[in-house]
Amino acid sequence: MLSIKDTKSQKLEKALAQKLQSDMEQPAVNEDELFVLAEYDNTAAEKSGYSNYSYWQSTLRVFFKNKVAVFLLFVLLGLLLFTVLQPYLPGQYPANLINNHPQTGKQISNLSPSLSTVYIKAPAGTQFNATEVKGYDGWYAVDNVLTSLKARTKFDVVEYGEEWCKIEYKGQTGYVKNNFQTKLKLPDDPWQVPYESRSNFKIDVFTAPVEYANSGNALYAEASAFTINEDGTVTAKAETELRILPSENAFWFGTNNIGQDLWARVWSGTRTSLFIGFTVAICEALIGIFVGVLWGYVRKLDRLLTEVYNVIDNIPNTIILILISYIMKPSLQTLIFAMCLTGWLGMARFIRNQIVIIRDRDYNLASRCLGTSTWRIILKNLLPYLVSVITLRMALSIPGAIGSEVFITYIGLGLPVDTPSLGNLINEGRKLITSAALRYQLIFPAIVLSIVTISFYIIGNAFADAADPKNHV
Amino acid sequence: MLKYSLKRLASSLITLCIIITVVFVLLRQMPIEGYFDNFEKADAATIQAKLNQLGLNDPIHVQLVNFFKDLLHGDLGLSARYSAGAPISGIIAKKAPISIKLGVMSMALSLLMGIPLGTAMARGKGRIWDKIGTVYIVFINAVPAAVYYIFIQMYGSDWLRIPMLFDEKNLATWILPVFSMSLGSTASYAMWLRRYMVDEMNKDYVRLARAKGVSDKKIMMKHVFRNAFVPMIQYIPTSLLYTISGSIYIESLYSIPGMGGLLVDVIGRQDNPMVQAIVMIYSCIGIVGLLLGDLLMGVIDPRISFVKKEGAR
Repeated sequence: MLSIKDTKSQKLEKALAQKLQSDMEQPAVNEDELFVLAEYDNTAAEKSGYSNYSYWQSTLRVFFKNKVAVFLLFVLLGLLLFTVLQPYLPGQYPANLINNHPQTGKQISNLSPSLSTVYIKAPAGTQFNATEVKGYDGWYAVDNVLTSLKARTKFDVVEYGEEWCKIEYKGQTGYVKNNFQTKLKLPDDPWQVPYESRSNFKIDVFTAPVEYANSGNALYAEASAFTINEDGTVTAKAETELRILPSENAFWFGTNNIGQDLWARVWSGTRTSLFIGFTVAICEALIGIFVGVLWGYVRKLDRLLTEVYNVIDNIPNTIILILISYIMKPSLQTLIFAMCLTGWLGMARFIRNQIVIIRDRDYNLASRCLGTSTWRIILKNLLPYLVSVITLRMALSIPGAIGSEVFITYIGLGLPVDTPSLGNLINEGRKLITSAALRYQLIFPAIVLSIVTISFYIIGNAFADAADPKNHV
Repeated sequence: MLKYSLKRLASSLITLCIIITVVFVLLRQMPIEGYFDNFEKADAATIQAKLNQLGLNDPIHVQLVNFFKDLLHGDLGLSARYSAGAPISGIIAKKAPISIKLGVMSMALSLLMGIPLGTAMARGKGRIWDKIGTVYIVFINAVPAAVYYIFIQMYGSDWLRIPMLFDEKNLATWILPVFSMSLGSTASYAMWLRRYMVDEMNKDYVRLARAKGVSDKKIMMKHVFRNAFVPMIQYIPTSLLYTISGSIYIESLYSIPGMGGLLVDVIGRQDNPMVQAIVMIYSCIGIVGLLLGDLLMGVIDPRISFVKKEGAR
């Protein structure tokens, strides 16, 4: 006889077995659905104290928030790219080439900046005298001078004008200028033509009432633009551009006093200055890191190096710079050497202070206990912490080095003039400041220099701010 | 305090001796042309006689000892090319007063401009004055001094209608040199004063004063400015260093008959004894500037000496 309790339990057992049976018969669950990766959930992450903080990402994020710095970064990158590419672009003059005038052979000195060599345009059908230019194939030197009259030659004026007079001379008609340079001898009423006239100077007779010449020098045009006439003159097929030089490459920044292209010199100078800047920055960083690490990490050296630092730091940098440049021959190496000699000091001290702060942190002690070699600790544990500050100091020492170059050149110990640098371009330009028309020779290099140094300075500082974890929140 | 001062003084003296020795030894490596008025025309015998007379054929340590002996008597040697045979100390004594006058004037001017600028920047943090001041400081720190000095000379003289070159008797020509020379120090005063004042403004005693209802102006002048100015004092002698490189530029730009212009001049003429003397004087000025700065700080802020003991510097 089963008790009520047993019957009850039997019933339940059966029900359970049935339920289990029916559950088992259901189709198997898809394996993939059994384990699904959870999506990143910020609120859930905060609960567990997890952070997706990444130092470099945050640094870059903060840096890119600074609009001015980002803008200048692009300006600087563009400028760097351009200075490297500039000599390979078409139509560039070499920086040290002295440009001579093709016919007179004189230097094209102090030519004002201009974007084009076109001096004047002549309409179609204009007749010119043309001569070929030696060394410039496919170019003509042209002018529209019909003939030149000796001083006091008599001719007939057939039409009078305030600027140009039409004249007849030996059966030819032409135009002469009527101004203070020609000083034509005119009757009381000059409008009453014709009459005989003369000038006390040698004057040119032009084929048309317009002078196609550049203050006495011929103008240049491409030969293909003309048809040649029987009498040796040429006629313009269409509207023709007459140029001051047999070249389409203009002197965008003008020329200096010996006819060198300032555009090419400015970019070549920027290259030199940036080269100095980067080399000095790298040398300073290498020496500074090496000394700084020794100074900070090796306790025995601390006292000695601190004393040495105090002595060297007491000497004004300017004085060391002047002294070294004075004793050694002026050259790129001298300049770089002199600047490196003082520049590493700040870096070394900085690195030392940082290393003293982090060298005894627990993870370094642990590392040391595990028998990691000193160099490995320095390279793997210490220096990665300093990357941002090292880059900052390097970014700031570039404008410093460029400035020092300007200073050394200024006091007469800089690079020779055939190595253009922003320093000696500015120094050359400085000598011309008394004449307002020539100030462009100072202003162009000064603008480029300012853009470069200000960009480096602002980018460096913005990066320093961005690299500070305090600003990452 | 006394111990610290003596120690600091001793280290400055040692530095000075080291610098003089190094400068002296380095300049002996220069070609001997720099000791002769007309080297090209002189024959071998005269050259040797002159070298003997100058003591340049002695071993270097003998020369150095002699030089130090002379130095203690205030004798810097004789000029070789600049004004041949004249004692250098005499030449410099004539040139120094004008440099000192210019330096002092520009230092006063930079304090006059830098302190109000720094205060204005700190008070209106993030507003217009702060922005203008920041642009100015960035510009002065980033652009090489030579560039803006030249532009000031060029456009300043046009604009004020004054001569480009310096004339001691014409007071108007003092304006531009003094102004240009003060720009660098002005920027550094303004920058540091702003930083210190902003630091002070976040301190509790300022909050307390504000809570008590003290007016903003009073807080600024009575509390913040005073406390912020203390660490500034060390920069005042240090700005002598700025003035050194500044005066070299400025004096030769405006052809001021002072020491900086003289240095550029004698470098051009390769007058070794003169270069040596002026370089030594300049490093001396620099060292004295730093020394004064540290000593002043020690006097004003007694905590300095403890810091020094711990070797944190």
